Parts: sequence; C-alpha cells; structure tokens
Amino acid sequence: MSVPAVEVKNLTKVFRTGFSKDYVVAVDNLSFEVEAGEVYGLIGPNGSGKSTTMKVVLGLMAASKGEAKVFGLESGAIQARNEIGFLPENPYFYKHLSGVETLRFYGKLCGLRGSELKDRTVELLQMVGLEEAAKRRLAGYSKGMLQRIGLAQTLIQNPRLVILDEPTAGVDPVGSRQIRDLILKLRDDGYTVFLCSHLLEQVQEVCDRVGIIFKGRMRREGTLNDLISIEDQTSLTLEGASPELLGKIHELVASEKGTTIIDEGNSRTTLERLFINIAEQKTEDTDQ
Amino acid sequence: MNFLLQKVPRFVLVIVVLVVFGLIRSPIEDHIRDRLVKANLLLPPPGKTAMEQMSQSALIGTLGGLRSLVSTYLVLEAFQHFSDKNWDELHRTYNIITSLEPNDETNWVSFIWHIGINATANMQVDESLPQFERDRRFKEYAFEGIEIGERAMEQLPDSVKIKTQLAEIYRVKLDDKCAVAKLYGEVRDLDGAPAYADRFYGYFLAECPGREREAYEHLIELYHENEQNHLPSLIATVKDLEKTLEIPLIQRIPDPYPDIPGRPPK
Amino acid sequence: MSEEIAERKLRAPAKAVKSFSLLRVWTIATSTVTQLVRMKTFYFLLAFAVVVIAAGNFNIPSTPAKELSMIKKVSFGSMDLFAWLFAIVSTALLIPRDLEDRTLYTILSKPVRRIEYLLGKLCGVLVVVGVSLLAMWAICSLVIFSRESLYVADEMALIQEDGRYGAEEVEAQIALIREQGLRPELGFAVLASFFKAAVIASVTIFISTFASSSLFTIITSVLVFLIGHAHSMAANFWLQETENNLFVQLLLKLFKILIPNFQIFSFSEGIVQGEAVVAALVGQMGALTVGYIVVFLFLSLLTFVDKEF
Repeated sequence: MSVPAVEVKNLTKVFRTGFSKDYVVAVDNLSFEVEAGEVYGLIGPNGSGKSTTMKVVLGLMAASKGEAKVFGLESGAIQARNEIGFLPENPYFYKHLSGVETLRFYGKLCGLRGSELKDRTVELLQMVGLEEAAKRRLAGYSKGMLQRIGLAQTLIQNPRLVILDEPTAGVDPVGSRQIRDLILKLRDDGYTVFLCSHLLEQVQEVCDRVGIIFKGRMRREGTLNDLISIEDQTSLTLEGASPELLGKIHELVASEKGTTIIDEGNSRTTLERLFINIAEQKTEDTDQ
Repeated sequence: MNFLLQKVPRFVLVIVVLVVFGLIRSPIEDHIRDRLVKANLLLPPPGKTAMEQMSQSALIGTLGGLRSLVSTYLVLEAFQHFSDKNWDELHRTYNIITSLEPNDETNWVSFIWHIGINATANMQVDESLPQFERDRRFKEYAFEGIEIGERAMEQLPDSVKIKTQLAEIYRVKLDDKCAVAKLYGEVRDLDGAPAYADRFYGYFLAECPGREREAYEHLIELYHENEQNHLPSLIATVKDLEKTLEIPLIQRIPDPYPDIPGRPPK
Repeated sequence: MSEEIAERKLRAPAKAVKSFSLLRVWTIATSTVTQLVRMKTFYFLLAFAVVVIAAGNFNIPSTPAKELSMIKKVSFGSMDLFAWLFAIVSTALLIPRDLEDRTLYTILSKPVRRIEYLLGKLCGVLVVVGVSLLAMWAICSLVIFSRESLYVADEMALIQEDGRYGAEEVEAQIALIREQGLRPELGFAVLASFFKAAVIASVTIFISTFASSSLFTIITSVLVFLIGHAHSMAANFWLQETENNLFVQLLLKLFKILIPNFQIFSFSEGIVQGEAVVAALVGQMGALTVGYIVVFLFLSLLTFVDKEF
C-alpha cells in the first residue's frame, strides 16, 4: 500500500478577525486522503473552505489544529513542496518575464540547472503549445495562455502531486475541454491530481473520487458512481429502435411489478458538446 | 525558538530584538561617530540658530544627510541675494551655510567679504537711503563683518584667508591699522602664509601709534635677512621710520627713497 | 476503484532539495534585478546625468578650485540622495506587489524558504543600487575630469600670459585645482552612499513584511530615515531648549535605540570636501552595515515566517 499523496487529519483552521475576539472557522475537523495516482476533486461552493484546505496542504498556512501531510511529509516542509506542482486559480506570474524565462525561474527554484532545465523548458512549452509565444513577456499573454504557462510551471520539476485550484474557472468550453483532457493525461502519466472546484459538471468527468465540502466540513466523499448514481434507476439508450420494439419494452415493463418508466424521449447532447463540435468543425474548415 | 515564536506575541519579540540591538550598537556608533568627527569626515550638527533659520526644505535636506548639497544650493541662493543687494537675506543664508559646513573656509571668506566689504560699499553708493541711514548701516555691516570674521577664526583658527579677509575690513572700511597689523602678525606664523605677510605686518605696525619702534626693528630685520626683501615699499617704510624715530644717520639703510607709483616722492 | 488506481504506474519521488540554497537566493535576486531593470528604473540615471552636467556649467564668478568643489558637492550629494531614495522605493515595491499579484503563492509553493525569498529580494535591490552608484560615479568622474582638465589648461594659459610667476608658483596653483579634482579617495564616498542605501533597504524590507501597501512602506521608511538622521541634531537642539524635560530626554533616547543612526553614514561629505580617508573607520562602517542588514533581515523573518496568505 503506497503512502497517500495527501493526508489531512482532523484539520481545523480558525481565523481571528482583527483585534476583536470574533473568529471564523474556515475548516472544521476535516479529514480525507488522496491516494497516490488518483484524481481527487474537493468540491463545494465559494467560502466552503476548499482554498483554505489547499493552502494548508501547500504550506502557505498553518493549521490551527490537526495536520496535513504530502507523501508522508509535513505539508510545510521544503521537501514536501518539491513534490507539489501548484496551479492557482488566476495564475499570477511576473509580467516582466517571458514564457521561457518564467519556466526557467521556477525550474531554478526547484533545483533544475543547465541542460536538464533547458530540455524540460522546451518539452513543457511544446506540451502546452506556447513555443511561438515563448519569448513574449507574460504581460502580453491572454488568459488562456497564462493558464497554459501556469500549467507548464506546475509540472516543471516533475512533481508527483499536482494541485489545481479552479482549473477551468473563467475558461471557454474549448479551453476547458483541453484542460480536462490534460488532467486525464496527467493521471495516465502517473501524476496524482488534487483539484478544487465549484464547477461540478466539469469535475464530474475527470475525478476518480470526490469530496464534498460545505461550511468547512466534509459532507460526502466517495467515487462518482457511489455518490451520484440513483440506485434504483437504470438508463438505457437505444439507437435505431423501431416503434414495435419500443412497444414491446413498454409491455415488458408494465408486466413487471414495481417497475415504471420514468422518462422517455430523444437523447440530448449538452450545449457544451454542441459548442465544441461547432468550434472543431470551423477549425477543420479553415484548415482545408 | 519555536516556543518563543508560538507563545510570545511577534511584535514583542521584534521590539525586544530592536532594543537589544540598539543597546549594543549605541556605544559603538558613538565611538565611531566621535572618530569620524575628529577626522573631519563627519560634520558636527548645525548650530541652534541655523536650525531655527532654515526653511523646511533645507531642514529636511539636512536631516536627509545632504548638508553639502543643501549648502551648495544655498550658495546659489546667496549669490542671488548679492545680485539683488539684499544684504539681510544674504546674511541669513550665509549663517545657515556656515552652520551646515563650519569647516569650509571658502564659505566663511565669502561671508566676510559680502557683508564686510560689499554691503558696506553698497551703503556708500545707495542713494535710495538717507545719508544718515547709509552711514549707520555702513558701520553696522562693517562690524557685522568683523563679528563674522571672529566667529570664523574661532572655527578655523589656522586659516590664512579668513584673517587676511578680515584684515581688509579693518584696512579699507575702518582704517584701523593696529588691528590690521595684529592680524598680519598672526598670519605670518601660519602654514601657507603668503610671503608678503611678514612685510605687511611691519607696514601696518608702522602706522599704529606707539608701535613705530617695534615696526622699525621688524622691518630692519627683514631688510638684512634677504636681499629679495629690498622692495620699494619696505625701503620707503623704513626710511619714514628712520625719520620718525630719529635713527642716527650711520645706522640708516643706504638706499634712497624709492619711486613708488602713486606715492609722492620725498 | 482503489484496485484500478493501485495498478496505475506512479511517478518517482522528487530529488532531495537542500535545506538552504544560495542558488535559490541568487535566482530570486536575479529575477528582482530583471524586474527593476525592466521597470525602467535606470532612467533616473539620465536625470542624475543632467544634474551633474548642469552643475558643471554653473557660471558663478568663482575660482576653478571652488567651482570643482561645488561640482563634487552637487554630484556626490545627488548620488547619495538618489541611492537612498531608490533603495527605499524599489524595496518597498517588491513584497507588497508580490502579495497583491499573488506571485508570492506560486513562489512559496515551490521549495523556497521564506528567508531565501527575503534575502534574494534584498540582494537584488543591492545589486541594482550598487550598479547605479557605479554608473553615477562614472558620470561624475567624467564631468569632474573634463572640467579639471579645462580649468588646468585655462589657468596655465593665464599664468603664462601674465609672465610674473615662476615654475614653483605655477605648480602650486595647479596643485590647488587638482586638490579639488578627481581623486581615487572619492571611491570611498561612493562606498559610504552604498552602505547607507544598504541599511535603509534592509529597514524597508522589514517594514514591507508587515505594511499594508507600498505607499505606507515608502512613507514610513522615509520617516525612519529622516529621524535616523536627526538623532544628534535633535539631541543638541531640543535638549538645549528643554534641559530638565525628562520626557523629551527619554523620547530621544528611545529613538536613538530603536531607529538606526543614519547620520554616521554621511561621512561621504567629508571625503568629498577633501578630508583624508581613514581606512580602518571605513572598515568599521562596513562591519556596522553588515550588522544592520543581519538584524533587520532577522526581524523581517520574524514577521514574515508564518505570515499567512
């Protein structure tokens, strides 16, 4: 059994407001684990304690009570931070640096040098599709480009754990799809991904397990199937079914005691899929 | 250390460190400061008067360690006052300049010159004022110049230029030959004294009532010391003294009265 | 599901990192230098060059020696002013900006110690201040040397035209000008300005670790600097007025203990005026500077080490 990538035990974080005795409990006795190699989503509405939890794991904040560990190491320890690649919600980097300079800066902070750093920088710029904009200063990057360079710096030192804070917030559907594909690729490449989000539909497609946090407490946790499948309902999607076949199915269901057909009709795609299909089609037409 | 960080409020720790560091460094800094002042690398603080007279910006500049810069700027300002013949403002400005840089000989010399020589000269020609007022201010500026010179000599007792500039006020404005002689007497003993200082001492001593004998002996000594001292002014003064003191003919110098331009022949 | 995850090929653990790395400090320092350079801060050198050249062309009736003295005073005084002002402003921009932009999150989420971050920022500022001082010194030296050469040539022409002075007197007159001209000892004056800028930069970095904004940091640092200069003057002035006032005396002593004594770092003025340099004293000032930097970095760490973002 490998060491969990993230281990949070009885974590409590209390913020005092100013000089008064008032305080806010941002995280209340939270416990969860992220297994090595899985994609774990910590989801909840704004103000539920996701960012606070994440900052404690990153070592940017100390816990008021409880503990957080990364691959068995205390979360604030310098070695623990070398295991983590972090992509913040709105990636802010030094705007005076170019794309390649940014990667080199963060790479050096992680101990990369010389040809190792150079090769890694080139590899990541190719991976995120920013080779042509590599020498441009970040002040001239679009939001999507900033997100991509952010992702590149997240992976600069080949961390075992990637922490993503609202990775698809504010990103268009095409970009969002690309990020989700990237997350799945990271998983396949052996990275552990711990992401925080309030965009529930998008999280649904990538996470192995999900923890639902609300008002600082874990409310539900488990695999998606366990959490969102309605146990006593079954979906069946048919293509090319004739009216006679449908009639037979209706009769079969009617003959079975305790079973009813709740919904019937044409399957629907999602608006997002439609948008992506149109965008991809337009791209193909332009290329031709 | 962790215990301290957890239990003691952070600002208390900061204050404690600052106080301990302050107590350790204070005597060290005082010692270094004294040595810097002694080596003339650090200027002593400006006098109280200067502090009161300084404008806000000059004060801030001074506090910011820019005394030389502030003083240079004030010299330019003083030059403007000189051009405008605003003697009182010029006096105030130079007070600050010499307070900021009390070891700067040039500033003191300029100060003495402006008040003692220029201001008094201006009073002789300024027809916008009544004669009585002009005469009164003439004296005032002359004595102010002397007061400035005496302050300067206290600050820089070995300055040749300050003494000679002060001597000029006595000579040109107050016609006090004894005072001039006294100053040249001090100048001749200083390093860097001009060659003529010795002679000037004798010349002015000769015109100081009751000191003619002393002057004669000094000038005769110079005469016999070096042939290069056989200058027309020296010979003329010795000849006058020989007459005044009724020096026996046999003891008198052989030179005739020299022709000195501007001086009527005897 | 756990079995499926357990079957996935996992990545190797990260390499061990040093507990404290000068290379990480240097990385942050060079990034700071790049940031300050790309903020076009060096343009102030143009303003400085204008000031020095203007000083070299003042036409006040004066002797060559006095004019050279004035050029030096204006140049080195401006150099000193630019150095400490630049040190305050550039340092004050660094940490608050990183906080506002949240760049600090991404940096501190990497294996970087907070002391490395602070040290890197301070080193970056000191490198920029040092390079600026060297550039200003080069500009000053050029102006002083050219004026000195001009004055010497003019003076020699005047003296020779007059014809009354011997070689010794000519030499003495030229020596008087050269005394106020370019001398190697002026390098110590530049060093003095650097010491002062280094101390105020370390004080500013300390203030910026708890300040709410860059503006607050700048104003507080300037106030500390002015009070630090006023120690002796305040003691002289106010104690004369209020000899028996215990409260004023205690207040002055408190300021003296808590606030750095910046006045002693102004020994560049004496050097510029031509006083001899005592190397041992300069060495002591250097040691004092290092002491200040170490203590204020420690204080910065105290306030910054568990600051939460």
